[in-house]
Amino acid sequence: MSAAAVEAAPAAPSGSLIRKIAWHWRYDEKRELWIGWWTLVIFYNLYGVLFFVLARTQPPPEPSLTPAEIVQWFADRHYGLLYGYALVFIVGGATAIMNATLAYTMRRMSVSRAFAYSYLVIYALATLPGMLIMGVVCTVGAMRPDRDPELMSWLYDFAFLSFEGTMGVFLIGSLVWMTAVLLDKNRVFPKWFGYLNLCNALTEVVVAPAWIFKRGVFAWDGAIAWWINMAVFVTYTAVFLSLLRKMILREDFGTGPLPELESESTGALEAAS
Amino acid sequence: MKTAASTASNPRAMARGHADDGRFVPGQPDMWAFVLFEALVFTSYFTVYVIRRTQSSDLFLQSQSHLDLRVGVFNTLVLLASSWFVARCVQAARERSFRAALNNAYLTMLFGFVFLVSKVIEWTTEIERGFSFTTDEFFSFYYFLTGIHFLHLLIGFVFLGVAVYQLQSPARRSQEMVETCATYWHTIDFLWVLIFALLYVMR
Repeated sequence: MSAAAVEAAPAAPSGSLIRKIAWHWRYDEKRELWIGWWTLVIFYNLYGVLFFVLARTQPPPEPSLTPAEIVQWFADRHYGLLYGYALVFIVGGATAIMNATLAYTMRRMSVSRAFAYSYLVIYALATLPGMLIMGVVCTVGAMRPDRDPELMSWLYDFAFLSFEGTMGVFLIGSLVWMTAVLLDKNRVFPKWFGYLNLCNALTEVVVAPAWIFKRGVFAWDGAIAWWINMAVFVTYTAVFLSLLRKMILREDFGTGPLPELESESTGALEAAS
Repeated sequence: MKTAASTASNPRAMARGHADDGRFVPGQPDMWAFVLFEALVFTSYFTVYVIRRTQSSDLFLQSQSHLDLRVGVFNTLVLLASSWFVARCVQAARERSFRAALNNAYLTMLFGFVFLVSKVIEWTTEIERGFSFTTDEFFSFYYFLTGIHFLHLLIGFVFLGVAVYQLQSPARRSQEMVETCATYWHTIDFLWVLIFALLYVMR
C-alpha cells in the first residue's frame, strides 16, 4: 500500500466489529499478515474440532486392537470420519497460507533465505502424511465397512503410522526455525523461543519408539509418545501464535531490527529511570 | 539504571557473578527458560516411569538388578567432573584468563566424551547379554531415558563448541554466551543425576 494511501486513511472506527474489519481490510498496511495470522488461529481450532471431536481419530486409539475391534472402531466413527475428513479436505489448502506466514518471519530475520525456503518445503511435505494421506485412508475404511477385517487392519495401521511419520518433519522444521531465531540479529523473536524450538524438536524424537511398540507408554497412543509430545506441541503452538501476533504488531517493513512495541519501550524507560 | 559502581558495591551481586549490565542470572535469561521447560518435560517422563514402576515393581526390580551400579557411579562422577570443569571455565573467563578458560572447556569436552564412550560400551554390553530396548518395560525406560539424555549431551557439544569459539578470539569473548553454554551443560548433568537415581539406585 502506498504512503499516500496510508496518510489518507481515516482513524480506525470504534464500536461495530464489522466496521472495524472493513477498516482494516481497506486501510491496514499489515492486512495480508493479519490474514495469515487469523488463518493459523482458525485452522488450529478447526483441526482440534475435526480431529478430536468429529472424526475422533485423536487422541489415537490403541495400536494393539484386534481386526474385529478395528472394524468396530471404523463402524463407531462412520459418519464422523466421512464428514470430518470431507471438511478437512476443504480447509487443507489453508496450510499454504499458514506456512507462508511462518516463513515470512524468517525472511524478516537477518539470516539466509535458505531457512525460509527449507521451512516452506518441509512443512508442505508434512501436510501429506500428517493430514491428507491419513484422511484418505480413514475415509477409505469408513466408506465400505463390510470389507475383510484384515484389510481394515491394514488401513488402520497405515493411517496412524502415516500420521506418526510427520515426526521427522516437525523435528527438522523446529531445528530450522531454532537456528534462524538464534542467529537472527533483527530481534524478530526472543532467543528463548529458539530454545523452545529445541524442546519441541527433542519431544518429536520420543515419538520414534511408536514404530516399534504396540502397547505401553511408547506406543502411538502412549503417555510418552503421544500425550507428553502433544502437551509440548500445544504449548509450543500457543507460544508461537502469540509471538507471531506481537511480531506483526512490531513489523515496520524495513530490513533492520524490529522496533519494540510502544508500551514496552515506555515500560523499559520507566524501569531504567 | 544500574552502573558498574552500583554493582561493585553490591557484594551479593558480585558473589553471584553478575556482570555490570544488570543481569540477574548467569548467561542469557532465555536459556533459563529452556532449563525450566526441559525440567518440566523430564519431570513428566520421570512421573510416568515411577507410576509404571509402582504398577510392576517386581519386574522393574528384577530387571534393574542386571544393571551394573559401578558403571552408573562412574558415569555420574565423569559427568560431575565435566560440570566442575565448565564451572572453572566460566570462572576463568570472568577473571579474563582466557587460556585457562579454553583449557577447562577442552577438559569439559574430554570428560563429556568419556561419558559418551562409556555409555555406548554399557549399551553394547547389555545388548550382548540379551537386554535390548524391547526386552521388558524396565529396559525400554532404561534405553529411552539414557538415549534421550545422550542426545541432549550431543547437543551439549555444540554449545561447548560455541563457548570455545567465543573464547578463542579477543574480538568475540562474550561472557554471556560462555555462561549460557555452561548453563546448558550443567542442565544435562543435573538431568543425569536424576536419571542415575531413578534407574540405578531407586529400589
